[in-house]
Amino acid sequence: MVSEEEIEHVSKLMRIEVDDHKEYVEKVHMMIDYFDILDSAGVDSEEISMPEIALSNLREDEHIPFDDKLIEKLNHYKGTYVRAPKMSS
Amino acid sequence: MNLKISALDYIQEVKTGNISAEDFVAATIERIQSVDDKLHAFLSVNDKAIDQAREIDKKIKSGQKVGDCFGMPISIKDNMCIKDSKTTCASKMLEDFVAPYDATVITELKQQDAIFIGKANMDEFAMGLTTEFSAYGPSKNPWNLDYVPGGSSGGSAVSVSAFECIASLGSDTGGSVRNPASFCSTVGYKPTYGLISRYGLISYANSIEQIGPFTRTVKDTAFMLNLIAGLDPNDNTTVDNKNEDYLSGIDVGIEGKKIGIIKEMMGEGIAPEVLSATKDAIAKLEGLGAICEEISLDMVKYSVAAYYTITATEAGSNLARYDNLRYGYDFPLEGYEFNSYISKARRKFGPEVTRRMIIGGFVPSAGHAGKYFLKALKVKSKLTKEINEAFQKFDFLIAPTVPILPFKIGEKIDDPISLFLVDINTVTANLTGKPAISIPYSISNGLPIGIQLIADSMNDKSLLQAAYALEQTVQLPEVPI
Repeated sequence: MVSEEEIEHVSKLMRIEVDDHKEYVEKVHMMIDYFDILDSAGVDSEEISMPEIALSNLREDEHIPFDDKLIEKLNHYKGTYVRAPKMSS
Repeated sequence: MNLKISALDYIQEVKTGNISAEDFVAATIERIQSVDDKLHAFLSVNDKAIDQAREIDKKIKSGQKVGDCFGMPISIKDNMCIKDSKTTCASKMLEDFVAPYDATVITELKQQDAIFIGKANMDEFAMGLTTEFSAYGPSKNPWNLDYVPGGSSGGSAVSVSAFECIASLGSDTGGSVRNPASFCSTVGYKPTYGLISRYGLISYANSIEQIGPFTRTVKDTAFMLNLIAGLDPNDNTTVDNKNEDYLSGIDVGIEGKKIGIIKEMMGEGIAPEVLSATKDAIAKLEGLGAICEEISLDMVKYSVAAYYTITATEAGSNLARYDNLRYGYDFPLEGYEFNSYISKARRKFGPEVTRRMIIGGFVPSAGHAGKYFLKALKVKSKLTKEINEAFQKFDFLIAPTVPILPFKIGEKIDDPISLFLVDINTVTANLTGKPAISIPYSISNGLPIGIQLIADSMNDKSLLQAAYALEQTVQLPEVPI
């Protein structure tokens, strides 16, 4: 079982404001509680298999030019840099 | 103009000069204008479609080489990029996003002279299974407007079912093609993982999602696969299908094939009408010479929890890029500090996306990963072993696509667990990378039921052969809209 405080803490870390407690915290709580079913799957000794792609199957690590200047599609940029707000005001 | 024809029939009619692409596309646009106010299958319609069709007719008349689609109108789920067109992912976050490039599937279909008639509605960022989580309002089921069409590719399914286009592309992360195909009575296909390039598909859960077609017939699905399947240097997860022709030999039948009936998908929680339709389909397959036996996949009962844990984790990572600087809705920088700026930007996500991002931050986090994320990966591994063992004995597996009939709009939206369980029969194919298809099978009280067949990886061709055999046993009424 997880607590609603833990959920609120993670939301804060993810920069998500949970102003509507019922809509976010309570429903997320319900959803995560459902995942407790995984405890009865009996998979503790199971190995995790991950797909592997051989290096030989990767495309060449080379620059592929793009026709448009993508940065010009942003609203906030200066030269070749993305503009962002100040880290602290 | 008969808008109800299949893709292959359309191509034949245009090739032989019986109809023109322009007339067909114009009639399709008229159809959209007359029914889409009620259905809301589309988020945007291509206002150049008729001009594009006219160009294709000119090519035909002047004897130039014409692509295999001959101007066939196709709808595209609004999470695939079409250059210079809006791609919103049904989210306010991307409401003004104009894609700067084509997804690989779009490039391939353009080369074959397909016409993209419009972008189809969906659950926001493909998170949902009813289309109710679209930021622009739900699509409606053409069989009964009070009911959900399924999701997340609900707009795609509705557009094919209600004759607003001939075929559509959706994406299937946990059933998002097969579920709405079942609810709207179309064919819906989730290919082997890696068979179709995901380049240009807005990412949700990369390790399991796939693009897949919606069509009126199984043959049309095979035709679409011929156009879009295969290796793509822009997607390293794609597999070499050796230019397989999925259409040739589709009618070979299924005599002598062994089909496993998945026990865990036929028991608790299944609606009696769905169970009865599935048993009927099994009897028909036996009548065609298939050998059907029950098989148990123990991990199925944990599959939904594993699926949501894995997909939320990947979504949490994928959606982190929407910081309003590189991606996302635009508002001025002045007056904000960095963190509050991003928090404000993220309020553009709807409630379901926000919930899944929170889960995606929680389940893989330090102190919780062992209980949730790693355990989910272990369930995925064990389920894959179980299904691989099943395919040592069986050629195909069968189950209803969805264990229940379509339900009313609003009926389940406040109950996340009951929504979770609608996915129980579809997530297995995603978690294990296997190809699966939903075939329209029957109509009960005016609502469609689809049957799902699953095959081993890279056996997409034989899966389509089996689906075609089952499809030939079915005669369904016409959609009432």
